[in-house]
Amino acid sequence: MVTSSESNLVIETRNLVKMYGPHMALDGVNLKLKRGATGFLGPNGAGKSTFFKCILGLIKTTSGDGRVLGYDIQTQGEKIRSRIGYMPEYDSLDPDLYAIDQVRFSGELLGMNSKQATQRAHEVLEYVGLKDQRYRKISTFSTGMKQATKLACALIHDPEILICDEPTNGLDSRARKFMLDTLRKTVTDGGRSVLMSGHVMDDIQEVCENIVMIHQGRIVVHRQIDELAKQVDVEIEISVWGGSSKMQNALEKQGMSVRRLGRVMRIKQESPETINLILSTAADCNVQVRKLNEYKPDLEDIFLLIMERLGLEVKGTKDLMTGGHTGGDEYF
Amino acid sequence: MSISEDEVNLEGGLTRMEVAYGSGDGDEEASAKVASHESSMGAIFEQKYRPWDGELGPRWIRNYAIFRHHVYGLFTSKGHRQYHPFVRLSIVVIFLGALTPIAMLFLSSLFGGSEDELARLWGVNRYNLWGQVLGYFPRNLCFWPLLTAMVVGGMISDDRKNGTSAIYFSRPVTRTDYTIMKFISVAVILGFVIIFSYVAYYTAAIVFRGEGWAYLVDTLPLFFAGLLCGILLVLTYTSIGLALSSISQSRFFSAIAFLSVIYGTKLVALLVDAQFESSILYVLSPYDCLAHIGQYLLGIELNYDHPLSLSIVSILLMNAISIGILTTRVSSLEVTRE
Repeated sequence: MVTSSESNLVIETRNLVKMYGPHMALDGVNLKLKRGATGFLGPNGAGKSTFFKCILGLIKTTSGDGRVLGYDIQTQGEKIRSRIGYMPEYDSLDPDLYAIDQVRFSGELLGMNSKQATQRAHEVLEYVGLKDQRYRKISTFSTGMKQATKLACALIHDPEILICDEPTNGLDSRARKFMLDTLRKTVTDGGRSVLMSGHVMDDIQEVCENIVMIHQGRIVVHRQIDELAKQVDVEIEISVWGGSSKMQNALEKQGMSVRRLGRVMRIKQESPETINLILSTAADCNVQVRKLNEYKPDLEDIFLLIMERLGLEVKGTKDLMTGGHTGGDEYF
Repeated sequence: MSISEDEVNLEGGLTRMEVAYGSGDGDEEASAKVASHESSMGAIFEQKYRPWDGELGPRWIRNYAIFRHHVYGLFTSKGHRQYHPFVRLSIVVIFLGALTPIAMLFLSSLFGGSEDELARLWGVNRYNLWGQVLGYFPRNLCFWPLLTAMVVGGMISDDRKNGTSAIYFSRPVTRTDYTIMKFISVAVILGFVIIFSYVAYYTAAIVFRGEGWAYLVDTLPLFFAGLLCGILLVLTYTSIGLALSSISQSRFFSAIAFLSVIYGTKLVALLVDAQFESSILYVLSPYDCLAHIGQYLLGIELNYDHPLSLSIVSILLMNAISIGILTTRVSSLEVTRE
């Protein structure tokens, strides 16, 4: 049996396996999550949702065990769900209800009495920026307002852990920023833990300090984002004019590692001399260097590198998104 | 009118300069009064996380919330499940329609007399107690199936369609509790109309005609037999209706499918009976099985040729299959993705 020895450990799983028939959805997941914000990344079908269902105590695992806030996920699912707020990815609101009634009802389903739930519904709707829209029917809401209402439903009982399944799906930039600010504030001001899954790296980077990457039911990465960024090589990014291929070949002949997209090249910085080498090579090749700067990797680069090492042909997190994630339109 | 120098002290003639250039001797520390940062800049929204340290109630409070959400919605459109005004109006009409014998009993009590035709037609007897619940026209043709279809229409299919099942199951509500409370909610609404009108009819017969203990002793067993019929009818219609609601995402489908099951089986069995003089196909009709059992319980002449045991087995099977479908379909309601 797993025991939560460290007081700030909120989730702990050991060899968690979940099989749907012959398909292995989770393959021996060992995870220890501390308080704070953690982002879950992975392609569709990687096992994120199955993992969430397991820690919510909604499905029986095939083998392995785990504890959430000290409760056993196999036998104490109800207690876990009392202390967790879950914001589903898809529509989960009754369009005929007013926002205040939907949020109140979600509180009553947790065991709050009507008076408590109503008072709390007012508070959380104000927190998610829907104070003035409380008495509007959900059917008249925009996607952003619906997402905010779902967040209010999840926050009504002030949960210790908030699980958000792709909270920025289909949001415009303003609504997205507000949603991410709200989640960050829930961690920093409210002291709650947030588990957030998503496909947009920037979103996760904005809210979370830790990241978990799942692929084919396995945890492939579980690190602090800052720590992870340090492991990626610093590169020199140049933009050249005339003879890009020639320049690339010349750089590679000198043993440099080059990544190229059209006229933009990123060269691994091996030593402080790298810049001089690049410039002299450009002069030798008669190529103009129009722009040169040090390129600091972001989470997107880290993701691509990891996906590349896993042998997946993913050009960016955008490849992981479907029309459903973007509200039917291209997000970027 | 003029003023003296005593009345206005000009202090060496500086007043006009002070007015023009400001007061003071010029030795004070130079400072400017500017708008302070703390002053209101017109901020209309301050996002502040408010913790909550209340205690969550036990299981029955959660379950009662589900029940209240569905049942209260019939009486008030604010804060609970929305029923279309036409549905609510129709339920009122059905309820009033089910109470019409009470009005006739009232008239009968006004006229009185030994040759009271109204009391003979509408008063309490085996046939009328059976008919109050299981009579085909108008109750089982126009009232109860329509009532059930309207109530079960979106009971589970709406959760499937809108994804609201996630709101239930991501909370400490089990699928068993969810199913039981939905079942109870529908059964209570149907029971309120069907059984309450039955009880009101029997009570009104006693009250309006001033019947005594002997009357009660005579009729109470019949009343309980009718009550049992009513409960059976409510349970059966609820099972079938909810099973149909659980297999679709459409209110319309659930309602129409229920009416089709009730009327369709009846019609087919009726046609076969008329053509081949065999009542065996009535075992497929939920209404006829209930009517058959009801006739036996109330001790009235049986209309059906086939054995009663077939109707009993059929009703048990119909309920078992319906509840089986219901639980299977509720198990498939997703939290993370539908």
